[in-house]
Amino acid sequence: MTGSGEGDRVRTGIQVLDERLKGGFPRPSTLLLFSDKPTEKRLLAENFAVQGASAGETTLYVDFFRAPTLARAELSRFGKYPADHLVMVDAISSQLMVDSSEAYRIKDIDDLRGICDVIVQAIQEQKPSRIVIDSMEFLADHFHKEAVLDQWKRIIDEAERVRGVTCFLFINWTYHERDLSAIRALSDFVVEFQSSMRGGILRNSMRISEMEEGGIRTNWIPYTFKDLVGVTVYFPRIMVTGPFNAGKSTVVRSLCEKSISIDRMGTTVAFDYGSVNITGIEAEIFGTPGQERFEFIFKIFAREVSGVLLVVDASRPEDFERARHMLELIGPRIPYVVLANKTDLAGALGPDAIARKMDLPEGTPVVPTVATENKGVRDALLILAEMIIGVR
Amino acid sequence: MVDDLHPRIVAVLQELRRIPDVMAVALARRDGLLIAHVLPKSMDPKRIAAMAAAIVGTSEMAASEMGLGAFFQSIVDSGHAKMLATGAGEEGILITMVRTDANMGLVLLSVGKAVQAITDLLERAAVAPEADA
Ligand SMILES: Nc1nc2c(ncn2[C@@H]2O[C@H](COP(=O)(O)OP(=O)(O)OP(=O)(O)O)[C@@H](O)[C@H]2O)c(=O)[nH]1
Ligand SMILES: [Mg+2]
Repeated sequence: MTGSGEGDRVRTGIQVLDERLKGGFPRPSTLLLFSDKPTEKRLLAENFAVQGASAGETTLYVDFFRAPTLARAELSRFGKYPADHLVMVDAISSQLMVDSSEAYRIKDIDDLRGICDVIVQAIQEQKPSRIVIDSMEFLADHFHKEAVLDQWKRIIDEAERVRGVTCFLFINWTYHERDLSAIRALSDFVVEFQSSMRGGILRNSMRISEMEEGGIRTNWIPYTFKDLVGVTVYFPRIMVTGPFNAGKSTVVRSLCEKSISIDRMGTTVAFDYGSVNITGIEAEIFGTPGQERFEFIFKIFAREVSGVLLVVDASRPEDFERARHMLELIGPRIPYVVLANKTDLAGALGPDAIARKMDLPEGTPVVPTVATENKGVRDALLILAEMIIGVR
Repeated sequence: MVDDLHPRIVAVLQELRRIPDVMAVALARRDGLLIAHVLPKSMDPKRIAAMAAAIVGTSEMAASEMGLGAFFQSIVDSGHAKMLATGAGEEGILITMVRTDANMGLVLLSVGKAVQAITDLLERAAVAPEADA
């Protein structure tokens, strides 16, 4: 099923994921985009389609819900793409009895076999590298389960023949757990979606699991959508903390293009803030003060923390105890990376010595940095990002 | 219900924004994340949310330290304008910027109304089934 080389993978466009997937989803493969509530999972499918079309790959989009003009307008929010690389299967125009300029049209929406004949014909003729079926619940709601499952398999077989990656969108309304496991078993990857509301803010996240034994299984990955940018991994809060004068404000400044520090006489009295946008990851960065008398600031900001960059001055082991204490203030079980900062100074300890002196759990990353020269800081953030989304 | 929370909040903020001399309105969470805003383009809403949380957090702490009773509002009184950071329920901070010479009676009345509406919306969202997903 898998192979090597660029042409054997289709990129998701989310770089941290693509790296972990060795370049993207393998061709051919079958993805199930699944949720049991209406969520924003169509975003990911649309992003996936536009990523393909804009990279010059032929992409087939089967849409049971929207007229093609509307679908195309909505897809263009994900970026520019050459219209002819995105081939639509139009299920709506015939029902509305309007003209359609799309090459593939479903004439009779009450004929399951006929619907799938059009899809299969499009797959055979276009040999798309990406196929989106939006969505299977439309078929599941209208036709008998056994017939739907048969056609589902038929589409998978045809897609495999042209080595396409197929995304099936599916909200489960009616099927039982036994049918669901059968559907999962047809898939190589299952992507689940979740939305949750916390204190007035809606968060979307997804989790990717490879069905194969020992395959990839990520944590819940928070994501966001922006017009023309598409889907990006989004961390609402990365905390930068550590002892007095360790270089926290400098770290925030070097990570973020625009940042603010509420500093007085060289020390942070409130917080540092900036946002970063690198390689498909967007994050809000909050730096804390280091001095004990400002510890109440932690109580304000230490909520919904995605991960922590713990900055220590590598030449001051006497502060390490304090560093550990600050980590505890933020809370348990939050992924963190230690930045061994100021490694340019004489007497700076190496990562191993720091891990030992701080008595860090086995495997905790300790990254040497020189924040004033922007060295190592980005690497530390990327390592933290991989830990949070569970691909490290 | 949860899906239309954001537009409902924005509607409350817009209504407050229409009061004479109110220049900008935003809603932040107590932990400094932005919920919604109707701010002019020149202001960075996320930064303002973080600052308001620090102001309110610090003010609350000061109020309790000095035994002033329950916190209600912080006012930043500056050259051209005032910034009011008002607690809106357990979770929210309503940020209102008004011109210095505004009719403060009307402004405070309108802020109070908006706070009540937002508190209700946030509380209802918190008990919706998605809240603890
Ligand atoms: N030599 C060296 N100096 C550094 C480095 N990083 C930061 N500094 C310096 O260390 C001093 C403190 O840096 P800040 O970034 O303000 O430290 P902080 O941790 O935010 O300090 P507080 O907010 O007071 O706790 C500044 O003079 C920085 O220029 C580094 O990698 N090497
Ligand atoms: Mg600082």
